[in-house]
Amino acid sequence: MKNTSKKEIGKEIISTTDITKSFGKFQALKGITSKVFEKEVVVVFGPSGSGKSTYIRTLNRLEPHDSGQIIIDGVELNDDVKNLQHVRSNIGMVFQQFNLFPHLSVLRNITLAPQKVKGMKRSEADDIAMSLLKRVGIPEQADKFPSQLSGGQQQRLAIARALAMQPKIMLFDEPTSALDPEMIKEVLEVMTELAESGMTMICVTHEMGFAREVADRFLFFDEGLIVEEGTPDHFFNNPKEDRTKLFLSQIL
Amino acid sequence: MNQQLKWAYNTFSGSFYNTFITFISLVIFGFIASNLVGFISTSEWAVVTENKRLLLVGRLPQGEEWRAWSILWISSFLIFSSLNIFVKPSIKELIFISVIFVSVCLIFITQDALFNVIIFTTLSLGSYLFAKYISQTPYITIFRKLLVFMWISIIPLMFLVLIIGDGPKPTLWGGFLLNIILAGVAISIGFPLGLLFALGRASQLPAVKIVCTIYIETIRGAPLVGWLLLAWFVLPKFLPEFWNLNETSVVIRAMIILSAFTSAYTAEVIRGGLQSIPKGQIEAADSLNLNLYTKLTLIILPQAIRVVIPALISTFIAVFKDTSLVFVLALTDILQVGRIIPEQDPQFFGKALEALSVVAFLFWIVSMALSNLSTRVERSMGIGTR
Repeated sequence: MKNTSKKEIGKEIISTTDITKSFGKFQALKGITSKVFEKEVVVVFGPSGSGKSTYIRTLNRLEPHDSGQIIIDGVELNDDVKNLQHVRSNIGMVFQQFNLFPHLSVLRNITLAPQKVKGMKRSEADDIAMSLLKRVGIPEQADKFPSQLSGGQQQRLAIARALAMQPKIMLFDEPTSALDPEMIKEVLEVMTELAESGMTMICVTHEMGFAREVADRFLFFDEGLIVEEGTPDHFFNNPKEDRTKLFLSQIL
Repeated sequence: MNQQLKWAYNTFSGSFYNTFITFISLVIFGFIASNLVGFISTSEWAVVTENKRLLLVGRLPQGEEWRAWSILWISSFLIFSSLNIFVKPSIKELIFISVIFVSVCLIFITQDALFNVIIFTTLSLGSYLFAKYISQTPYITIFRKLLVFMWISIIPLMFLVLIIGDGPKPTLWGGFLLNIILAGVAISIGFPLGLLFALGRASQLPAVKIVCTIYIETIRGAPLVGWLLLAWFVLPKFLPEFWNLNETSVVIRAMIILSAFTSAYTAEVIRGGLQSIPKGQIEAADSLNLNLYTKLTLIILPQAIRVVIPALISTFIAVFKDTSLVFVLALTDILQVGRIIPEQDPQFFGKALEALSVVAFLFWIVSMALSNLSTRVERSMGIGTR
């Protein structure tokens, strides 16, 4: 159930104003206005094609938005490369397909970015990587290659890799959708621990049990718009919109 | 033992078709083998033994052989120490290598070259054992780096040895030496160039993309012989006059054309590898804020090149064999030597088959070594395949 030790929600860290995005004729985002605060855990869900993945991918400009404004940690996200680097250095991302680097060992997967982007020494990066591997529970796998790990271990490695850059915000794009059922739990445990440690998180997920436990706020997407927004209690007890009710009845 | 017998029975004669295929194969194999043995034992090999020098170094002037020998010594040190350090052959492979080594020595050994051959043999064996010894000491990392550095600088080194101290004109280079040099240059210039063209063609910048595409398609659109003839007749008119660039040796012109040709083909091979990289890899690199250079050199290229190693090596093998086409520039590579001698030397009239089969054998050894290298590299890079 909802963690009782209410954490302090901080100041505003992500603000999007009326952002749109089209792929050819298909309009994936039709004007999204949202705010996320420090230490907040926001769960984004909705039917497929509703724009939820596109939304979080615009936040670190994997998909450049067409119009509107995105401000992250006081910096506007636009064509300016300096701004982009500032934003990306503050955002970690975890993908549905893990996207680990298959030709690098588990340890190198984590240390690559700290060494190359932050100019960290190898020994220092190794130490950080080992402590992160301990945190996600796979320190004994350090010298293996990603393909030798189970799906759940791979996703935990992906989380560790993103955390190595010490981001202020973590984005999760359906992190458990490519996993076998018995492996979902181990990944969700890591995510729960992360949420409790006060990380600002935006998760696209349909794991409603997890969402209900850790989320501070839900965003329900449909057809490129935020249809309904509120606390988990609001969604589970009395959702207002018909589309929300219909969707919840299908997935619960 | 019983198991093996059972396996042999099932494989070779388990069913009617297996028996039939075994029988046919045996007949074909026996036919080829008996002909081969007959050919080797009944032929007169004087055409080869008398013309070793022409076959190996062409018209390289008397007294300049030490240049070819030093190249051979340097490369034997490199090849045999790398064999131990990087490849670690099994006993079977070692025997195979020795057989090839001995047969090449037997074909090409002569009285006056005996001393050089002995140095060569000792050096090969010595560097193999030396590498074996050093791999158990802490100097192994330095030695590894030294070897890699030497491999990178082998082509300039060869040039240096050939040119230093008033060496013979490049047009006098010939025989197998010429094939090796041309192939070495074509590959070591063509590969990095091809990499750049591949990246250019995959680039988002339209100007770069168009230029690279036009280059690749133009070079690939005409046969190599055509380009070589172009180099013969037309290239001098395009090259600037200062430094006498318009009168550069045909060997240099052949090198330019072969490198350009190799680069176009490698570019297409590498582009195939680039396309096999999932979009997620680039997204992951972007989300970690890696810059373009790191992304290319540490994420994209290592994976892209690993995928295309077999295709890349077969391009290299093709280039190596294509070097024999430089006969259109009136250069005498080994194939040309093997073709001309039986035609023009009355002593060896009608001995074309003997001469050409030895030429083929030499080409085969190098191609075989390259293709073995490819499987090796693939296997050693295979750890962590997706």
